[in-house]
Amino acid sequence: MKRFLSLAALTLLVMGLLAACGPKTDKELIINSYMSDQAPKEAFQKLVDEFQKQNTAIKVTVNTTAHEQFKTLLGSWLASKDAPDVVTWFAGYRMQAFAAKGLLEPIDTVFPGGSFEKEFPAAFKPPASYEGKIYFMPQSWYWWAVYYNKDVFAKLKLTPAKTWDEFLALCEQVKKAKLSPIAIGAKDTWTAGGWFDYMDTAVNGGPFHQQLTMGKVSYTDAKVKETFGYIAELSKKGYFIPNATSYSWQEAAKLLFDGKAAMYLMGQFIKDVAPEDKKPVIDFFQFPYVAGRTEYAVDTPTDGFMVPVNAKHKLAAKKFMAFLATKEAQEMFCKPLGRLAANVNVPVPNADAERGLAMVKGASFAAQFYDRDAPEEMAAKGMNAIIDIMATPDKMDDILAALDKERERIYAELK
Amino acid sequence: MEQLIVKKQTGKRRRPALVAAFYVLSTLLVAVWLMPLVIALFTSVKSMDELMGNAFMWAPPRKWIWQNFAQVWQRVGMSRYVLNTFIITVPSVLGTLFVSSLAAFALAFYQFRLNRTLLVVFIAGMLIPFQMLMIPVFRLSDLVGLRDSYQGVILFHVAFQLGFCTFFLRNFMKQIPYALMEAPRMDGASDFLIYRKVILPLSISSMAALGVLEFTWIWNDLLWSLVLLQRDILKPVTLGLANMQGEFISNYNMTAAGSIIAAAAPLLVFLVFQRFFISGLTVGAVKG
Amino acid sequence: MDRVGIIKREKVWWVPWAFLALPLLMYLIWVIGPILVSLYYSITFKDSIFYPKGVRVVWLRNFIRLATDPQFYLALKNNLIWLAFFVIVPVPLGLFIAMMFNLEYKGSRLYKTLFYLPMTLSFTVIGTIWAWIYHPDFGALNTFLRLLGFESLGSTPWIGDKRYMTYALVFVGVWRQVPYVMILYLAGLKGVPVELVEAAMIDGARWGQRFRHVVIPLLAPATVVAITISIIDSLRAFDIIYVMTNTKARAAEVLATYMYSSAFHYQDYGYGSAIAVVQFIITLGFILIYVSNVLRNELQQ
Repeated sequence: MKRFLSLAALTLLVMGLLAACGPKTDKELIINSYMSDQAPKEAFQKLVDEFQKQNTAIKVTVNTTAHEQFKTLLGSWLASKDAPDVVTWFAGYRMQAFAAKGLLEPIDTVFPGGSFEKEFPAAFKPPASYEGKIYFMPQSWYWWAVYYNKDVFAKLKLTPAKTWDEFLALCEQVKKAKLSPIAIGAKDTWTAGGWFDYMDTAVNGGPFHQQLTMGKVSYTDAKVKETFGYIAELSKKGYFIPNATSYSWQEAAKLLFDGKAAMYLMGQFIKDVAPEDKKPVIDFFQFPYVAGRTEYAVDTPTDGFMVPVNAKHKLAAKKFMAFLATKEAQEMFCKPLGRLAANVNVPVPNADAERGLAMVKGASFAAQFYDRDAPEEMAAKGMNAIIDIMATPDKMDDILAALDKERERIYAELK
Repeated sequence: MEQLIVKKQTGKRRRPALVAAFYVLSTLLVAVWLMPLVIALFTSVKSMDELMGNAFMWAPPRKWIWQNFAQVWQRVGMSRYVLNTFIITVPSVLGTLFVSSLAAFALAFYQFRLNRTLLVVFIAGMLIPFQMLMIPVFRLSDLVGLRDSYQGVILFHVAFQLGFCTFFLRNFMKQIPYALMEAPRMDGASDFLIYRKVILPLSISSMAALGVLEFTWIWNDLLWSLVLLQRDILKPVTLGLANMQGEFISNYNMTAAGSIIAAAAPLLVFLVFQRFFISGLTVGAVKG
Repeated sequence: MDRVGIIKREKVWWVPWAFLALPLLMYLIWVIGPILVSLYYSITFKDSIFYPKGVRVVWLRNFIRLATDPQFYLALKNNLIWLAFFVIVPVPLGLFIAMMFNLEYKGSRLYKTLFYLPMTLSFTVIGTIWAWIYHPDFGALNTFLRLLGFESLGSTPWIGDKRYMTYALVFVGVWRQVPYVMILYLAGLKGVPVELVEAAMIDGARWGQRFRHVVIPLLAPATVVAITISIIDSLRAFDIIYVMTNTKARAAEVLATYMYSSAFHYQDYGYGSAIAVVQFIITLGFILIYVSNVLRNELQQ
């Protein structure tokens, strides 16, 4: 009996090994995607089906993993000897960190003869490259802006603010009407990241903010303190919703939809969760100018794809990437989702997107997003610090000093 | 001193006040304890519009949209996920129960030098936070080629649960008196026979309880399926549920509906096996 | 004469090992092995385990950093709070409920089944719903409190305020742990005469002695498992905190979440592994104390 058991166990083991050592052909393409939402998932599947039709010799498999779990495993997948062939990811530091470790395959050959510059905005090249080589294929992107409830504005006879002073006056009016001026779902700390990006670029300009996210500026710098001063002012005046840290971003959005809050600095996807009858009520305006500046920066988080260096079917992977870069493919994906395609030749999907695009085109500087431009640990601790400052604005100096110590350690370790 | 325990008619000892107390207390307890589950049910039948339109997310639904369940089953593909979870869970539970009973038997009834040490080794494996083992286990499976297959996950679960199961069964087995083994041994029975014909039958109730716990645990496992499975067609219910979470957007109603569907299996297993470990008509030998 | 079955057989020493061969082998490969690898990771630098060029060993640097890390001590403190509540509440409560539901009244089976349900739902859903219960403005709990007239208490941000966070989360943990302990005791009670249990519940004073000296020892295996698991689960607590709070440095941080954040959010697997090692040693300490006590008592019998 015992012998039988050991034999059974051994058989299982051998079976497993055999199963894994199947014939490996370059006729396969394995894609690991984090597009677990129903709509993008279906749109992507259509895209994959189209590619499959054009390339019947390659068997394409899409494996979907939810975003949070995907992030956890990506490092392991890239380093594995059985890495997938294509993975979804975002541009910016988060991608470059993998390239720096030698885990990504350069895809310059996918863009013959300067075609990247022809098909994609110039601003997308730096976050998609590392040390002169392109590693990232941009697919779609979105913008952040101050979303507001038109009904609330109409009732209080308000108009979107262009300058900071107007913005403050706006908030005061809303507060007087016993409503919350600014909604923020601080349980999801990245909502604070958005505030930091926009506030800092509005106060100090895009290039300064970039230096900051690259770790070259101290968080105790007077300019940074100035930025936080503005945010702290909002908090001290009670313009943020109470108990912000108890709301996830989605729950806080409800306050905007219900008219309990007037504005919400948020990404374009906020409209995706608005109830049908509230969708037309929500609109956006550009983040206000601060201190007489006439230039502005925007956050344009860009999603796309990369090829691991350990991929088993690199030819198929690059073929797919080339397919993804085409105007047709990009339109096929972005149009049903109302997203902006990275390829400049793709027509804008709707009126909102047109305004969004215009807003982005008019910007002098585009960043990805705080947690995509800075190392993850720095961004995480930074966003916590912002939320702490929002909660206890008087402790700002201490919080920033502690944060800066972290910055020194984190960036030192990166060398 | 041994007693045979038989269910007695205790009707005459039931005082009505106590009966009432039992029912009141039990009902209250269950009602309070199950409140969150009731809210889960409410959530599962609401539309996203209703969820996003009412700040009181736990309130009873205005409209009961039972189609959510159908949608989760078909469109999201719950049916496949449930099948996969059965394929993974059932062999894992059987496997780990069986293998750990071997170890438990050895640790409970044999005196040898490393007995206590081995018990601690089995316990020690339970202490480390699982997340930390994710990468080593991933790399091990990668190396051995057992990644992305049913066999890999099953083997892993069987091995991983051995710590708790051995510990659990060994404790319950220790209650079985030596006398029960003496007779067969005198008759020349091998130790394996004793294990199979004497000890295992006596351990039914503890193994049933353990089986139910293990089934629930492995059925609800997210982490190891995540680490060990890549292809969508192999994924169990937990990963399917996790995939209903988008990058930013939470589909509360779908996730709740999916969770309720997923909870059906452990519940069923509980119902089927509870008579083995819940006292009722029992005839067994107990230490007096 | 042994009352508990101990088979001493010097001549056939290999018998227990024959039984142990398969389980031990599997366990060593799939569990002990990865644990040892984890230990190794704790002396490496950041995420150098993924560098194609090779791992960078930094020996005790991670541990030294840990020793002066306030977040680590906060996590430790929170874990001890979890430990205290997990051992004190679910074990007696689970026992009481198991005994009560075990009385052969009609419908007791239904009660048992219903009470078991919290264990079947995924943590994501449990966490989301409890967050809705705990919400300061619109949550079920505060709405209920305000209805009863407790205005100020009914505005408390249970998981927003660092003073209450851990306790609110521990409550959810206990909520889920009690059914678990109940099952353990249901199995244990199978060997206990029903009248004994009934009598103990009805006539507290007179049967108290009997209960303590007869029933409790009969439940010993279940109790040992229940307490051991409660210790382990409290020190290993992760899912509830992870789902209900932002885990990136919060007031409710525990060792497991801090380890997870460090490893998977900050890409510092070395540091995360170091935290895991410390947590492992602490838990092992508690367990060894408890289990050796138990083993000693076993020998005495």
